[in-house]
Amino acid sequence: MDWGKLRFFLGEVFANFTRNAGMQFTAIGTVAVTIVLLGSFLFVRETIQTFGTGVLSQIEIAVYLKDGVTDAKAKDLASTLAADPRVAKATYVSKAAGIKRMQDVLGKDFDTSLLTTNPLPNAYHVRVKDADEVPAVARAIARDPRVAKTDYAADTVQKLLKTAAVLGRAGIALIALLSISAAIVIANTIRLTVFARRREIAIMQLVGATNMYIRLPFIAEGMLAGVLGASVAIGVLALAQAQVVPKLAQTLAFVSFQVNELTLCLELLAVGAAVGIIASWLSVGRYLRT
Amino acid sequence: MIKLRGVSLVYPNGTRALDDVDLEIEKGSFVFLVGHSGTGKSSLLKLLYREEFPSAGEVTVDGIRVDTLRRGRVPKLRRNIGVVFQDFKLLSHKTVWENVAFALQVTGTRTRDVMRMVPRSLDLVGLSHKSRMFPSELSGGEQQRTAIARALVGNPKLLLCDEPTGNLDPSNTTEIMELLQRINLKGTTVLVATHNQAVVDRMRRRVVRLEHGKILHDDERGYYFRGLGQTAVLPG
Repeated sequence: MDWGKLRFFLGEVFANFTRNAGMQFTAIGTVAVTIVLLGSFLFVRETIQTFGTGVLSQIEIAVYLKDGVTDAKAKDLASTLAADPRVAKATYVSKAAGIKRMQDVLGKDFDTSLLTTNPLPNAYHVRVKDADEVPAVARAIARDPRVAKTDYAADTVQKLLKTAAVLGRAGIALIALLSISAAIVIANTIRLTVFARRREIAIMQLVGATNMYIRLPFIAEGMLAGVLGASVAIGVLALAQAQVVPKLAQTLAFVSFQVNELTLCLELLAVGAAVGIIASWLSVGRYLRT
Repeated sequence: MIKLRGVSLVYPNGTRALDDVDLEIEKGSFVFLVGHSGTGKSSLLKLLYREEFPSAGEVTVDGIRVDTLRRGRVPKLRRNIGVVFQDFKLLSHKTVWENVAFALQVTGTRTRDVMRMVPRSLDLVGLSHKSRMFPSELSGGEQQRTAIARALVGNPKLLLCDEPTGNLDPSNTTEIMELLQRINLKGTTVLVATHNQAVVDRMRRRVVRLEHGKILHDDERGYYFRGLGQTAVLPG
């Protein structure tokens, strides 16, 4: 390893970076703003996804049995249900257990003293592995002669699934748009620094430096701007998260705000670096094609 | 060293810079390229280090066909050609040493070799004692010597000078021409484009005169104006 070469290279990158501090500041700022938007979006999306998956995984199909079905016959149904590979779990809830459960949920407000008979049917609560399968499984179960009726939050399931899909697609589009806008700003900044250094580039070309060699410092510069911008953005997002999330968690207690922060940070840094590299590659390339 | 055969150069705006030029320059020679500004001197030099493409004809430098050279091969060609300009083209934020070393560093030379080659080149142009100064602290002649040191640091076989004394006073001009002569004596082929009559007439070297993109005359030990050399140095 030739340390002198490395020192020369890093020295060039650093000197140029600081010489164009004003322009770099603009580029870093723009990248930071873009990545703050991107980061908040990713945060919201991941939260909704976690929430959505949580809700979907809790959706149960209520299977009400016909009145005449004896306990023994009802138990029989358990093995039929378990045989279906799509079913995760089937819990039997007898009339008595059903009343008790209701009392547990509603507490004192639920007064059983007025009831002369138990109006609840025997039932199964079926949990399905994949939320997509809920409607199909419900239809299959409904065909069984012992079953009176199946019930599940059909609309909610469908809507949630649709929302998740739309969000996924909108997210990709938004990320692409934001990245492109950041890339354009970095490209312009690099173009200005390229212009400021046209003498140097001309001399490099004159003495026989390869295009790759001429390009390299600019690419390092662009990458640096991208990574610094992303770092600023991550700082801002971390602050915002510390301020906002506890309040949100209070108001929206049922939503969990658990986001994999390390992955998110790495993703944002990678986006910043990639945007910087691509932008500077393009803007120097245009200059070198003489 | 240099061979031009039927070379023409027409710029996109229609200007005919060179018109069917044939020229041969031997290895180790010292040649002046003279003529008024706009007669194609710079254009001819540019063809040699492939800053320009000929519109027609063949350009050969040190056995390499420059006109058909692939883009990727151009850097290697240029490492074998030193070029010096009227405006020096030094980097103002770098010292003399750094300006000279720059040519080696950006072509991927090992640091050990840079440390060896830069002092040798500075010594040749007589600037070893000013290696830590910036171009703004030097005289015009010293700046041009720095540029020459940079052009020569990689040991090129050919040195091209485009009006090297255009920005210099007479005493600096003499200094630079003597330096170029010394460099030539060490075996480097030197081609100097100039319209400085005094320099050309004093040196008595081969003179190639361009006029409207054509070679008007080509004399061994010639004068700036053919046959007028004597009158030019006579008083009155």
